[in-house]
Order: sequence, then C-alpha cells, then structure tokens
Amino acid sequence: MDKLASLLHTSPAIAWMVAKLIIVFGGVFSLAALWTWVERRGSAMIQDRIGPNRAALFGKIKILGLVQPLADGIKFFFKEDLVPHDANKALFWLAPFLALVPALMGFAVIPFGRSFVSGGQEYHLALLDPGNGMGLLYPLAIGGMAVYGVLVAAWSSNNKWSILGGMRASAAMVSYEIGMSLAVVTIFMTTGGYDPSEVISAQGHLPWAWNIVRQPLGFIVFFTCMFAETNRLPFDFAEGESEIVAGFNTEYGSMKFSLLALSEYCHLMTASALMATLYFGGWQVPFVKDPTVMLSVASFLVKMLFFAWVFVWIRWTLPRFRYDQLMRLGWKAMLPLSMVNLIFHAWRMSQGH
Amino acid sequence: MGVVVKKVELSWLDRTYVWPVMVGMGITIQHFLKQLFTPTAKRFTIQYPDMKKEMPEGYRGLHELKRFEDGAIKCVACFMCQEACPARCISIEAEEFSDLNITQGFEEKRPAKFSIDMLRCIYCGMCEEACPKDAIWLRKDYEVAAYDRLSMQFGKWDLMNTYTEVDGKESISQDPTPSVPRRTIAL
Ligand code: SF4
Ligand code: SF4
Repeated sequence: MDKLASLLHTSPAIAWMVAKLIIVFGGVFSLAALWTWVERRGSAMIQDRIGPNRAALFGKIKILGLVQPLADGIKFFFKEDLVPHDANKALFWLAPFLALVPALMGFAVIPFGRSFVSGGQEYHLALLDPGNGMGLLYPLAIGGMAVYGVLVAAWSSNNKWSILGGMRASAAMVSYEIGMSLAVVTIFMTTGGYDPSEVISAQGHLPWAWNIVRQPLGFIVFFTCMFAETNRLPFDFAEGESEIVAGFNTEYGSMKFSLLALSEYCHLMTASALMATLYFGGWQVPFVKDPTVMLSVASFLVKMLFFAWVFVWIRWTLPRFRYDQLMRLGWKAMLPLSMVNLIFHAWRMSQGH
Repeated sequence: MGVVVKKVELSWLDRTYVWPVMVGMGITIQHFLKQLFTPTAKRFTIQYPDMKKEMPEGYRGLHELKRFEDGAIKCVACFMCQEACPARCISIEAEEFSDLNITQGFEEKRPAKFSIDMLRCIYCGMCEEACPKDAIWLRKDYEVAAYDRLSMQFGKWDLMNTYTEVDGKESISQDPTPSVPRRTIAL
C-alpha cells in the first residue's frame, strides 16, 4: 500500500481509500452486471431451458455466454433515448441515478474482510472504518432512500401505470421497513452495539453462535422484508408486468432503463451482504478462529453470493403476491413476528442479567 | 344438485408458508441441477443453427424431381400434379424428345420448364400423391427461405438438384438427350 501511495504521490490513507472505493463500487457494480446473466441463465435452467449462451467476444470466445451483460450494455447505449412528451424532464433524468446511488451506497459500511495491520497501521476492509458512529443504521437509512428512485421515476414519467407502480412500491416500503427495522433492532440489542464489526465479532467463528441460529424468527422476517425492499419477486408489484405493464419503468428505455435494472441488482447485492453480515457472521470463517485476510474475504464473498443466488432462486420459485396479500403479510404477519422476536430476546436478556 | 367442491384443508405446516416455500425451492433446484448436468445434446432445446431437428417419417418439406441413373428426368409432363395442386403453384411446359437407350425409339414427353412457386406452395403433398410416375416427392428439408421473392421460384433444375448434396449425387443442369425429336429413326 505504501508503494502504491508513493506512486500516486499521496498518503497511504488516501491511496487505501481510493483503492477501497474502486474495489467496493467496481466490484459491486460488476457483480450486479454479472448477476443479470446469472439470473437469466439460472432462471432458464430452473425452467429446463438454456438461456443466453451465444454472446461471444470477437465472435469466437463464448465462455457460456458470460459476455451477455457487455453485449446488453452496448446495445442499451445505442438505443434511442426517448423522453415522454409530458414527462418532467429533469426528474425523469434524475430518477435512475436516485435509484442507483442509494443501492450502491448501502454497501459502504459493510466489512467484507477482517481488518489487518501492516506497517504499523491498521487497515479496515470496509469503506467507512468501524466506529464511525453510523454503523448499520446507515444502510437501513440509505435503503429507505432507495424508494425515491422508484417513486421519482414513476412520478416523472407521467404515466398512470408508472404512478400505480410507484405508489405500490412506496406502500410496500413503508409497511416492510418497520418489521425489518425491528428485526435488526433485536440484533443490535443482543450484540450491544450497532457497528457492523461489533455485530460480526459478537457472532464469533462457530456457526451455531451466529444470529441465524439464535434468532431464526428474526432472520425470516428480515429475509422476507429484504425481498420487499429490493422490489423483487414475489414482491415486485412495483413493476407487475401482468397488471400494470412494467410499472415504474414503463416509460424508460435505453441506458436509463438499464441503470434502473442495474440498480435493482446492486440493491440485491447490498441486501445479500447485509444478510450475511447480520445473520451469518460476515467475514467469519466457520471453525477457523483467526482466518487470513484472503480467507475472510473469500468467506464473505461466498456467503454474499449464496444469498444473491437465493434471491434469484426464490424469484423463479414463487409467483407474485397480490397487493392486499402483501399488505396483510406485512402488517399482520411480519410486524407481529418481529415484535415477538424483539420481546422474546428482551425478556431473555432481562433474565440473563 | 350442484357439484360439491371439496375445499383443500391446509395443514398447520402448510399454513406457516415457510415450509411450502422451501418445498418449492427444492423442486426448482432439482430442475436446475438436472438441467445443469445434462449435456447440451440431450437438453430439450435444439440450438438451431448448430443442431438441427431430425424430421419424423412422412414429413413434407422441399420437393425433389427424381431422375434416372443417367440423369434423365422421370417426369413425363402429364400435368397431373399441376391439376392436383390446390395452391396452383406448379406450372409445366412440355416438350418432346426421343431416347434410344431407354424408350427404344419412342418419342416421349418431358417438361421443358417445371416451376414451383415455393411462396405459394402449402406443402400438402398432393403433387406427390397425384404423380403416376413417382417423379416428384416431398422430402425433409425445411429450410426454404431466401432474400427475395424471385429466388423462391424453383425451376426444373433447382428442383432436380434440391437434395444432391444430401444424397451425394451429381448436380446436373442439362438433359442427357437433346429435345429435338429424332425423326430419322425408321419405325
Ligand atoms: S405440395 Fe401441394 S401446394 Fe405444394 S406443389 Fe405440391 S400439390 Fe402444390
Ligand atoms: S404428375 Fe409427375 S409425371 Fe406428371 S407432370 Fe407432375 S411430376 Fe411430372
């Protein structure tokens, strides 16, 4: 790191920060792009089809069609960029970024590997160092912002289907935010802090001490709410194709649509990272007390990608909920369940002391 | 009395919703793994330009006009197929010729022109049914497409050569005997 810093004529701290920025945002972004391919191939396999396997570099190197996202991206760039006549132009342009930025930002606090000391200085593998005072409240707050992207996209395109989709998205967000927050609060309570590194170290390296074992109910609630948060099936009526054309992105095309779609996948990555951090011990390697940095990063990646795959897997297993069913599930099942979870753990803690 | 519809009673396990979802996920992952480990050739999807579907027996595709070993056309220009064709897409012009080898000096008829408009043809196979000489038949080639309408008008030589590559036969563009009747032969 010192060598890189001297190459760039900056201090090691700044060089490290830049490197982290590139790794985290570049990584999440490219993983999100890759996941569009995983989703398409995975869904195809689940439905006994084959999926996109023909895109090839220079017309020769096929690698299972892995360059499909690249081909899609190029195609999107060359599409005509239409803005509806009566749309609110400024907001229409802003919306994809409003959707993408919070989806990426949520990742900033999540430690993707164990901290290490080199040359007398401690390096943390998270964009924001632990003890920044925001901790895991930050991704939750940013996650709440994400609905603005959908809502602004819906509102600015001045289309009835879009507005219906936007309304649904915001209603879902409101009803699921509470259940999710209560589930997370339970974790903060049992951990005794809301810094991600604290949450991770409190879980330890033994799988039966992870929060998934301690709070399975909380996990189910959190997991379900994450689907509503990321607007994915079975809760994706913000763009229920069979009912409201394409929901909030009906009027979008070209690169703007691609940004909206990518933001969904970025959100998915952030959500899986959160799930791995909160319930599956983050970068902890099962049964290894002091993992090396590389091993811890690999462990985190495996957990995160597994959850990202579960998102895809569930999407192609379940049909879409009806709107009232979603509301009933949110208010009558998720909220009480997370409350029960909270009260149960509060009671146990009070007995413990 | 109406039909009594039996209501499905859900067990408590099904009511939790979590268990049925997990069962469903089990089913989808089974499909996923099965498809993943099936070699490409055995999957349901036929990846068209690389793999082609083997057409079943009795499939009616592109026509072929049959020929004798010496390359003479089997068709005798009897116009039966033209009459039978429901799409009216065959048009034939007959000519006379005589061939000492095969017809022993008799004068014979054969098509000077034989064309099928493949854009109108409905591949019904009536021409094959009608032909008294078994001179025309429909085979298994289904890739009948072209960039313009004119190249979909198949002439006599096109029709005689449609399957030469598949059968390993020579592509011909000339009748073995001239069309001018040889009336010098003494009967
Ligand atoms: S297949 Fe049917 S439509 Fe086509 S040329 Fe023969 S008789 Fe006519
Ligand atoms: S029915 Fe047969 S022999 Fe008669 S004109 Fe048609 S192809 Fe030739």
